[in-house]
Amino acid sequence: MNKKAKVLISTLFMAAGLVTPAYAQAPATPAPVAPSGPTFAPSNLTPQGVRSMAATCAACHGTNGVSVGGAIGGLAGLNKDYFVIQMKHFKDGKRDATLMHQISKGYSEAETAALAEYFAAQKR
Amino acid sequence: MTINRRNFLQAGAVIAAGGVATMTGCASVGGSSGPKVVIIGGGYGGATAAKYIKMWGPTIDVTIIERNTSFISCPISNLVLGGSQTMADITVSYDVLQKKYGVKIVNGDATAVDVEKKVVRMANGDAIPFDRVILSPGIDFMYEALPGLNNAAAQARFFHAWKAGPQTVALRRQLEAMPDGGVYAIAIPEAPYRCPPGPYERACQVAAYFKKSKPKSKVLILDANMDVTSKAGLFKKAWAEMYPGMVEYRGSSKLVDVDVATSTAKLEFGDVKADVLNALPPMKAGSIANPFITANKRWCEVNWLTYEAKNVPGVHLLGDALQIAPAMPKSAHMANNHGKICAAAVVALLTGEQPNPSPTLNNTCYSFLSADRVVHVASIHKYDEKDKTMKAVPGSGGVSTAATELEAQYAMAWAKNIWADTLG
Repeated sequence: MNKKAKVLISTLFMAAGLVTPAYAQAPATPAPVAPSGPTFAPSNLTPQGVRSMAATCAACHGTNGVSVGGAIGGLAGLNKDYFVIQMKHFKDGKRDATLMHQISKGYSEAETAALAEYFAAQKR
Repeated sequence: MTINRRNFLQAGAVIAAGGVATMTGCASVGGSSGPKVVIIGGGYGGATAAKYIKMWGPTIDVTIIERNTSFISCPISNLVLGGSQTMADITVSYDVLQKKYGVKIVNGDATAVDVEKKVVRMANGDAIPFDRVILSPGIDFMYEALPGLNNAAAQARFFHAWKAGPQTVALRRQLEAMPDGGVYAIAIPEAPYRCPPGPYERACQVAAYFKKSKPKSKVLILDANMDVTSKAGLFKKAWAEMYPGMVEYRGSSKLVDVDVATSTAKLEFGDVKADVLNALPPMKAGSIANPFITANKRWCEVNWLTYEAKNVPGVHLLGDALQIAPAMPKSAHMANNHGKICAAAVVALLTGEQPNPSPTLNNTCYSFLSADRVVHVASIHKYDEKDKTMKAVPGSGGVSTAATELEAQYAMAWAKNIWADTLG
């Protein structure tokens, strides 16, 4: 198998969500690329990169996941396995949602796992 | 900036003219001894950038220059027009940003960014020094496109209310004073403009007020765009089902002038008289950002990794003033997200590190179709390294399937959380 074919196959596996977290977190792993789709930069899962990504959740869920808004739940201190499973259930429709089924699909499995670790470590 | 003012400035520094000059002078001696970041504009973009720079780089000296004494939110301001919220509900103090995070707030008007001397020049003659400057100036209105409104007297009678504040109150008063059976018309400019779904939400809120208090009145939407630019199906359903016979939508109806004497909207094709005429002029980046406008003479292009101006590295820009990336709205939520990526980049650049090569942005815009029925549009954007722009992640994002009370609760919770995330 030539190198190009290998890359293509691993890309397909990633797109199908079949890749292991360890592999997905390797810095050299290319982001999923659909034919003629966007060419996204590889995920930055360094502490600074994860911190910045977690900050995208903060507008709705509060700074560092501490919600002051009432109806929207906080993320700080959530068990990381619970976080990962809920995001998976949002993605596959097993958990009802108004918009999290749409938002969750914007974050890869590796990114979701990194966010889970980040928020689990935040004080409520 | 004239030579005279510069001379005055130098003299002012010698005699310690007080105010800003004194304050920044002290800061370089005691207090935060780190590099200086000056942020022009304390809205969703600028205030968020200030807070996150202090969170991620506590030794950096951060100053916001803001002309208003408190923050008034554009999101939720349409509910003040509808009557279910008050100005107090949408006003947030800068106190927490100052006391908890150590951000300095200078209340005043910036007049120019002197990139060579690395100072921001103020209307009162002060000069505020910076190592890096962030402009989050929001939008200005292109009244030259509406000659009849291009003077102060006309603008004192016909309101945009597209910056929440005194105009929000003034427009509400006009609606209250309008007799039942009258016509409220909102004129929407061609996209891009601040807050794509905002005008349609406003039409709903005014209709909600009329339905309750002035049921014979009409809401007329004069849209320069061919069709509703955001959440089209959901808004049209609301007009048909929640406000039947009250809201009329006219696409491809561009406002080209206003006859002030007769309160008439002059369209490309035909005239429309309105009792309350709410004209939104075309918009551009706030004028302090004029030297950094590179797109269509209206918007500022940036490097999406650092939010530095395309034409002047070292000057950062945020929020509605930007030339948008594909599918990126000019929204409060987006400005808040810009602020965080810019904050991380500024902290990295000031400490000799690489800015994040793979930033993520997301957006959620809620629209209130009444006081308690809400819909949303959401999206996630990542950096495309080939095209060097932000692009929506395929398969993610979307709009509500229907307007619900549950989303009204989430929308108010969103407002409280984004205000706290931006300012507290």
